[in-house]
Amino acid sequence: MTASATTAPRPTPSRLDDVRADLRAFGAAGMKEWRLLRRYPSLFIGFLFWPIALPLAYVFQAQGYSGGQPAAIDAFAQRAGTAEIAGFLFLGWATYMWISMILWGPGTALRTEQVRGSLEALFMTPVSRMVILFGPVVSQIAWALWMFGVVGGVLVLFFGVPIGPMEALRALGVILVAVPALYGLGALFASVVLRFGEVSAMVQTVRGVFTVFCGMTFPIIILPVWAKAVALSLPPTYLIGDLRAVLLKGSDFVSLVPELAILAAMGLALCGFAIVAFRRTERYARQGGSLAQY
Amino acid sequence: MKPGYTGPAIDAVGLVKEYERGRRTTWQRVRRHPDQRERFRAVDGIDLRVERGEIFGVLGPNGAGKTTTMKMLATLLEPTEGTARILGYDVVREARDVRRRMGAVLSDGRSLYWKLTARENLEYFAALYHVPPKEQATRITSALQAVKLDDRSDDYVERYSTGMRQRLVLARALLPDPELLLLDEPTVGLDPQSSRDLRDRVRDLQAQGRTVLLTTHYMEEADQLCDRIAIVDHGKVVALDTPSGLKRTIAATEVVHLEIESSPADAALLSRLERTAGALARQEHENGTLQVTVHVRSARDFVPVAFDVAHEENAAIKHVEVVPVTLEDVFISLTGRALRE
Repeated sequence: MTASATTAPRPTPSRLDDVRADLRAFGAAGMKEWRLLRRYPSLFIGFLFWPIALPLAYVFQAQGYSGGQPAAIDAFAQRAGTAEIAGFLFLGWATYMWISMILWGPGTALRTEQVRGSLEALFMTPVSRMVILFGPVVSQIAWALWMFGVVGGVLVLFFGVPIGPMEALRALGVILVAVPALYGLGALFASVVLRFGEVSAMVQTVRGVFTVFCGMTFPIIILPVWAKAVALSLPPTYLIGDLRAVLLKGSDFVSLVPELAILAAMGLALCGFAIVAFRRTERYARQGGSLAQY
Repeated sequence: MKPGYTGPAIDAVGLVKEYERGRRTTWQRVRRHPDQRERFRAVDGIDLRVERGEIFGVLGPNGAGKTTTMKMLATLLEPTEGTARILGYDVVREARDVRRRMGAVLSDGRSLYWKLTARENLEYFAALYHVPPKEQATRITSALQAVKLDDRSDDYVERYSTGMRQRLVLARALLPDPELLLLDEPTVGLDPQSSRDLRDRVRDLQAQGRTVLLTTHYMEEADQLCDRIAIVDHGKVVALDTPSGLKRTIAATEVVHLEIESSPADAALLSRLERTAGALARQEHENGTLQVTVHVRSARDFVPVAFDVAHEENAAIKHVEVVPVTLEDVFISLTGRALRE
């Protein structure tokens, strides 16, 4: 490095330059996570095994309860809008696993950096805080696609669920619309990490609420009226419902526009709220010196 | 630095950082009980003016406020009072501009990703420092060469020694090609060879035209490296000068350490030694012996007299050591305590 480079005055880059640099940093954060993941190859086995094993247990349970009786399957189809019990459960659990990943993601990434001792080093760089927050979870989008791919493969190959390329494409669209809402929630948990240094209790609670209300393993039509109202205020309800609609009921994208619009609006609101919350907690951490405390 | 700015690299005025001691429970918050936590000042009105191109040291014992000061300058902490400008940019209002132009070593090798190679670590941080893609490879190679790790750049960091990790942390701080480097206790935990190595790298950085602010509680390090030194204690600057200027504040050229067998007549002995030397820099009892430190113009004149006084007071001097004045003595003369206490 030359002396001249260090002593010459440097103009501040334009906002556009900063955005470009931040986007590159997003990519670098994803690459870093991917490299770290590659150092532990056994994790790949887990990612292959778990999305199949967990829902499969529930499929067997459902078969046990219904006894495979046409009347029971009809009753289910009336409530769920599809007779594909396996597809219904697999999609519910795949979504649950993805949501869990996202809820844990940003908060856990910050917490890991905090415990490792690298959080202050990250905060001393000029990169946008959004990169620090969301960068490490970029790689999780790849995992989500992988997981949904595995689930789709199992449904087609072992349960004969007819999922073609168009259905898969529509499902991808639904997933992309849901990304802001879910990542907004994840970012809120990251603020909790900076404020309280721990996120597990809150993530477990929210995950529990999602499991009970959002219809991961059952159609929400069976819920009491008040519980249905709760369900409709939670983004995962729309995500799961719309995924089942495009993959199992053959719905087209246009018919889902109202629900997707709600999901997108929730995403905007949650992301805005998360950014404000994160800025406030970062300020709090800088005032109280809690960035390096855990 | 800011275009058109001609001032110092660091200009801090009246920096204060206040914390609360103790805790306030959630119940107290909910009930809105008055906050009865004691407030204390980790940094209590520090003024620093570091000129461009100099190596400036902040020397002080643990808990003196060195790291807190560094964190405020590094934009990690907001000052409670006072202002600080780095290369013309305010550390609170223009924090992002400060971060673009500054490299900092405020942590040890833990802050690296041990399951990545050195180069992979630097690739990630180069992106976070907004290094342009075209310059990235060159910048990383230069940083690795600067800390003499270029031949081990593709090894996992977990295989590095402590000293190598610390050098890699320094390489990371060089990625933005910084005009200013903040180094907080950069040689803590390193063996003498690694410490020497790192100090050489710091001198190289100054030769490249960079400004370096470093904190340390190793007086030799401050003495050897720094153009100027601020001695801090209890969050305040108690002295600021060149190393030789600081040593000149002591009206002595030599320091005599006496180890005396403790006896009931210690008080009388100390009183007579004080009268002979003018003042005792330090005195303490340790394992049945009385340790006395005296600053004198001539040890040759003082030591025989000290033996006579001890003899007359029925005390025995067990050990005598005469050393030149160091920054430690300056610190003792200013605070009455040793740096490592």
